[in-house]
Amino acid sequence: MAKQRGGGAGRPQAPAAAPAAPAANPELVRKYAWPEQPAIVGTSVKRLDGPDKVTGRAKYTFDISRPGMIYGRIVRSPHPHARIVAIDLSEAQRAPGVRAALEHKQAGAQVMYHGDAVAAVAADTEERAIDAARLVKVQYEVLPHLANVEQAMDPDASQVFQGGNVRQGQTQESGDLAAGFTKATETVEATYSTHVITHVCMESHAVVCEWDGDKLTAWVSTQAVHGSAQQFANGLRIPQTNVRVVTQHMGGGFGSKSQIGAEGILCARLAQAAKVPVKLTLDRKEEHLDTGNRPSATAHVKAGVGADGMLTAFDAESWGTGGAGAGSNFPLPYIYQFPNRKRVHKDVYINAGQQRPMRAPGHPQGCFLTEILMDELADRVRMDPVEFRIKNVPADAPNAKWKTYLPEAAQLFGWEKRHPTGDAARGPIKTGFGCSVHQWGGGGRGSQARCEIMADGSVVMKCGTQDIGTGTRTIVAMVTAETLGLPLSAVKAEIGDTLYPFSGGSGGSTTAASVSPAIRLAAGQALENLFAKVAPTLGVDPSTLVATSGRIQVKDNPSKGLVWKDACKLLSTEPIAADAQWQPGLSGSGTSGVQFTEVKVDVETGIVRVERILAIQDCGLVVDKLTAESQVYGGIIGSLNFALFEDRILDRVTGQMVNPNMEWYLLAGMSDVPKIEVHLKNQPERGVIGIGEPPTVSTASAIANAVRNATGATIRSLPLTPQKVLDAIEQQKAGGTL
Amino acid sequence: MAPKDEKHDTTERTGVSRRTFLKSTGVGSLAVGVVGAGEAEAQTVRAVGPGDIPITLTVNGKRVELRIEPRVTLLDAIRQRADMTGNKRGCDRGACGACTMIVDGRTVYACSTLAIDVQGKQIRTVEGLSTGNTLHPVQQAFCDVDALMCGFCTPGFIMATVALLEKNPRPTEEQVNRGLDGNICRCGTFVRIKEAALTAKVVARG
Repeated sequence: MAKQRGGGAGRPQAPAAAPAAPAANPELVRKYAWPEQPAIVGTSVKRLDGPDKVTGRAKYTFDISRPGMIYGRIVRSPHPHARIVAIDLSEAQRAPGVRAALEHKQAGAQVMYHGDAVAAVAADTEERAIDAARLVKVQYEVLPHLANVEQAMDPDASQVFQGGNVRQGQTQESGDLAAGFTKATETVEATYSTHVITHVCMESHAVVCEWDGDKLTAWVSTQAVHGSAQQFANGLRIPQTNVRVVTQHMGGGFGSKSQIGAEGILCARLAQAAKVPVKLTLDRKEEHLDTGNRPSATAHVKAGVGADGMLTAFDAESWGTGGAGAGSNFPLPYIYQFPNRKRVHKDVYINAGQQRPMRAPGHPQGCFLTEILMDELADRVRMDPVEFRIKNVPADAPNAKWKTYLPEAAQLFGWEKRHPTGDAARGPIKTGFGCSVHQWGGGGRGSQARCEIMADGSVVMKCGTQDIGTGTRTIVAMVTAETLGLPLSAVKAEIGDTLYPFSGGSGGSTTAASVSPAIRLAAGQALENLFAKVAPTLGVDPSTLVATSGRIQVKDNPSKGLVWKDACKLLSTEPIAADAQWQPGLSGSGTSGVQFTEVKVDVETGIVRVERILAIQDCGLVVDKLTAESQVYGGIIGSLNFALFEDRILDRVTGQMVNPNMEWYLLAGMSDVPKIEVHLKNQPERGVIGIGEPPTVSTASAIANAVRNATGATIRSLPLTPQKVLDAIEQQKAGGTL
Repeated sequence: MAPKDEKHDTTERTGVSRRTFLKSTGVGSLAVGVVGAGEAEAQTVRAVGPGDIPITLTVNGKRVELRIEPRVTLLDAIRQRADMTGNKRGCDRGACGACTMIVDGRTVYACSTLAIDVQGKQIRTVEGLSTGNTLHPVQQAFCDVDALMCGFCTPGFIMATVALLEKNPRPTEEQVNRGLDGNICRCGTFVRIKEAALTAKVVARG
């Protein structure tokens, strides 16, 4: 996968170059359009790998054990910025159990952040590998570093990055800003910001590499098996055909696992040097430091609104940091229509680990920065926030249904009980309501699949996609069974291996929309081949046949046909193998949703408790209702973490992360999770779209607006820590807000 | 964040909590500095390792004999030396709960428990719950309501749920919250885990 540097305003990453694929076949697409009355698609199907996961049988990369396998460990820079003077591996090489030690960077090279990889060792046990890593002697010449955005933006700061610490972006402008502000009866001018968070995959990044001559097999905890193979090939300078990547189960990626990283290449090189398989798993600290993060976002905004509640003008200067040399762009303003607008963005580089795409890259930031402003503007013109939003969102379209969803959600939520900004109730516990809107792209691209039907009637669908916890394995089987008119138990889904046809990385909510059409068409093509075998026996034309309820039969004469197994017997010694690839027509793109929250804020302690959340979310054709709903629950809880708990905290002096663990890097537990009500909208006419990212965009904004509604104090930055809530309340009492 | 009372509470009483673990290892050198020479010598005599030593664990009712360094945790002994990889390592310092096992009826963070300290105790892992192809009621409930996504935290959540329900087969929602507060799920499956915990039919166990 291409390294995404700019955040890309949420665009999915470009897929790795796809090999030549079967030719487009619009006729097949027409014939295998999604059925109007599906038997399986759209129902709630339990994920097929559930039993393996709940019993511990499912093997994640962390669980892979190979004969003779040893353990790798990376030596990392303790400095945020330094030049390597010398690396001495000799003592590590002599340590007990050590089988390989090698440099990752050479003398003269620079390390750019705390945790940057420098060298690696491998030993017969993990404990001994950790011991040996400590014996690698690296001599550093410490260089000036930038520990935060403020330092980096100081014109007097050391120029740490080639070409400057700040990269000025292009100015986006439309309309007439001055005229827009003249029309405004009210303006708000303030600075809004969001913080850096890390992905915190429960299974940290992990690799097992095993060489057989010049061929490499790698078990990788990845969101992209084919993309990983390409990266191994490029990094090791070997043909991609010599690399096999396997990922049967993986413990969460959220965007951080589309790159094999330093650990991937080092694991392969250690295995080559030691001549035995090597397992390299990152510990929790390494995971925080060196596997990506969501960039920060800040915007100084001036916005205007007319007395009629229509937005008139938006003028913003924004910046953010994606770490050492990585971008931080995000969409701004988010969704709402300003006829006159200007925005200029700059990327600020600091000495911290580089960002990677994180669940809906750019959108949670742009959404928060815009949505808090919306409630402030609504108050200025004394308008209800829902009514204000309905006025200013774009007109309804299939991928933009806020004008429909907002009133519907308001009614379901009991929005009429909302009080004006600032809960006037007595006592320290204040209640507040908030809402927010969001959008996402999603959509399909070049997945390939192969359907095999054997003479004994067994069916396997092979696709080089991967299940990152979203339920992909299950929908591969569902679409296959639906298309062949078989029960789910009669088909096998084989995924997570580069031995299977090319499929892109799981990013940008594109997997379901890429894979489902490929599966549908591969199964359809296989079925057409089977019809051709069966038709002569039945004495009919193949075009009259259909597959339904475990039979191949004549459409207008159901009694004339064969049960599946008997039909397949006709294949004799020539089983069917049919290839197909994604084609337009079975998937769509663009989703929209709204979320409403209720919070309780203790104004004496500053503690925010989210009481309930209501979400309306669409994603085109729902394939598996059960797992699609799970994605929405999960996205919402992820965004609740973003709002209230998690925060990557760097020491302002040393640039080191002070909470690289899971006890001071906070995440919600069971007691922190509110009642969540999900209303999933099925839009079968739009085809499959994808739902992994959209639900995680707007919860944080809705929570922040609810806190504002409860306390009457505006907090313009995340996370909403108790201290920040108390400060905002104090400021507000003193006549202003933060 | 709510405090993880239940887990700390239970592990403290078994003497194998993370805090106890730290006391027994990390602070060792400090202790040597304050005790008399004779006592230090006595401690040295009792000490084992640092090389491999033989240990015997009782895992899911079966004897498991291993040779390990004394510093090896229960989790790593079982995962890396006995190849029972069901329980997972998420944080390796007693904060995420993916490693949760049941030792003598109580949940412990196996990543922060030394293997040598649980010899002679009954250790239960996620592998020990199902019988043949029949899932334990908690495992079945997790599958039925989709109380898992990536599944990496799942074995820990299942062990915590089993321990909770064996003590209290019909917990209130609040008791489920407290019983499972020692576990973290990054995919955000909590709503359905709670549903699974409230619907699983488990028989109380002494």
